[in-house]
Amino acid sequence: MVDLLYTELLKLKRSKMFLLSILGAVVAPFMVVVSTYIQIKTKESALSVPFAELFYETNLYVVLLIGVPLYGVVTAYLFNREYAEDTLKNLLTIPVSRTSILLSKMLLLFMWIMLLTLVAWGLTLLLGLLGQFQGLSTSLLVKSIKQFLIAGAFLFILSTPIILITIVLKNYVPTIILAISITLVNVMSFNSEHRGLIPWTAAFDIANDTLFPTYPAEYSYLVITATSIIGFIATIVYFRKADIH
Amino acid sequence: MSVIIKTTNLTKIYGNQKSVDHVNMTVNQGEIYGFLGRNGAGKTTTIRMLVGLIKPSHGQIEIFGENLFTHQKEILRRIGSIVEVPGFYENLTSRENLLINAKIMGIHKKNAIEETLELVGLQDETKKLVGKYSLGMKQRLGIARALLHYPELLILDEPTNGLDPIGIKEMRRLIKALVQERKITIFISSHILSEIEQLADCVGIIHEGKLLEEIAFDNLRKINRKYLEFQVSNDNKAAMLLENHFNIYDYEVHGEGNIRVYSHLGQQGHINKVFVQHDIEVVKIALSEDRLEDYFTKLVGGGHIG
Repeated sequence: MVDLLYTELLKLKRSKMFLLSILGAVVAPFMVVVSTYIQIKTKESALSVPFAELFYETNLYVVLLIGVPLYGVVTAYLFNREYAEDTLKNLLTIPVSRTSILLSKMLLLFMWIMLLTLVAWGLTLLLGLLGQFQGLSTSLLVKSIKQFLIAGAFLFILSTPIILITIVLKNYVPTIILAISITLVNVMSFNSEHRGLIPWTAAFDIANDTLFPTYPAEYSYLVITATSIIGFIATIVYFRKADIH
Repeated sequence: MSVIIKTTNLTKIYGNQKSVDHVNMTVNQGEIYGFLGRNGAGKTTTIRMLVGLIKPSHGQIEIFGENLFTHQKEILRRIGSIVEVPGFYENLTSRENLLINAKIMGIHKKNAIEETLELVGLQDETKKLVGKYSLGMKQRLGIARALLHYPELLILDEPTNGLDPIGIKEMRRLIKALVQERKITIFISSHILSEIEQLADCVGIIHEGKLLEEIAFDNLRKINRKYLEFQVSNDNKAAMLLENHFNIYDYEVHGEGNIRVYSHLGQQGHINKVFVQHDIEVVKIALSEDRLEDYFTKLVGGGHIG
């Protein structure tokens, strides 16, 4: 598995996708901090926005808006490029077990998502410091990074349906459509009391400890687990059995 | 001589179509086996089944005497292959592409990559990204990748496709060298008869999914038939005379006025005399031999290979 992971990292050498994804991860913190700063500076009233609010808002935008399509594109790139560049047939005749290929790619996807999550968190911190926002403390740093990482981990866990669609349809377009659809559902359901039943909004609420009391927390965990496991099992079963053309 | 590949009733069905239909094939150790067929005949589907990329609908594959489906991992470790156009990570160099294979296969031999690149003549191109390689260079890199782990069997699917004449010649030289130097068994597919003829010891002819013939080239040359070729003004009348006057039924009409008679080879003078007596103008008489191309054309039921 270590060798497989090494080869997956090697495949990213000189790849523009890595830089593009970093640029994508920069969008949420930049928009949140800059827009908040401009808002404070242009309002005559003494509006005060604490640092905690910046982290919350950035995490919200990352998980519900930017994260799903951004990580969806990363997922599609990782899993579809073997089809697009016609390299899968080489890997499978080396031979490598199909499950190992999937697991090594998922491991890399996890590392990639966590890195982008840290980029978003780090940039929020940096821009917040530059903007001289108040209320930064060690406990806030620890709490916010924990919230970011938990949310990032949930987004990774919930990537299995996106992996499935990529592998079955072998194209970037359906994956992007699915990611945009998920984002729309997230936006539409965010103000609903039932959002604890939507896997992605539930993930955000669990990470930030903001679950509504409408349903027991177990329901949210169950929805997330079911979505992830069904996606994972379907992916493994399909990929192990599929003919490679 | 031991058997390296043996397929039994190998069949692949897509919907209602049999892409590969009960193929029984035997490839012996140390030989170059040419797998010949027109485009869409079922060559690539067969090769994909041989390397485990697709599963047969029916039938068995034995490679190195073991069942492919139960010993796939062990068998594939002893095989190098190129299936259609080899795919590479175009953002990487040739060395980095081969490093991926070396890492996964656990090849620890120092200089294995450099040696293999030298074997295919790419030792001076190691800093160039594969995305900038020509098709011929990619084909050679594909062979290098297939050879990296010193396989005992090399499966090549149309390796000369898209190559220019010099590239084709180089590829042929490389394949012959591999057999001589590394004693590898080679299974090579092509839709070009002359390619197979210049390389292979044995040929399997596939058409519409069926293996029509499997024969050593030496035997094939022996069974090629001689015939009398007449170019006449009226082939219908000539054919009637052959049947009624000479009792000859072993003949074929090839195009306008061209008749090939496969018996009575010494009697061209007599046949000519009778044709002329019946007002048939004879433009040409020749004693000819079936070329391999004719043989294959007859076998696949007309048209040309390719």
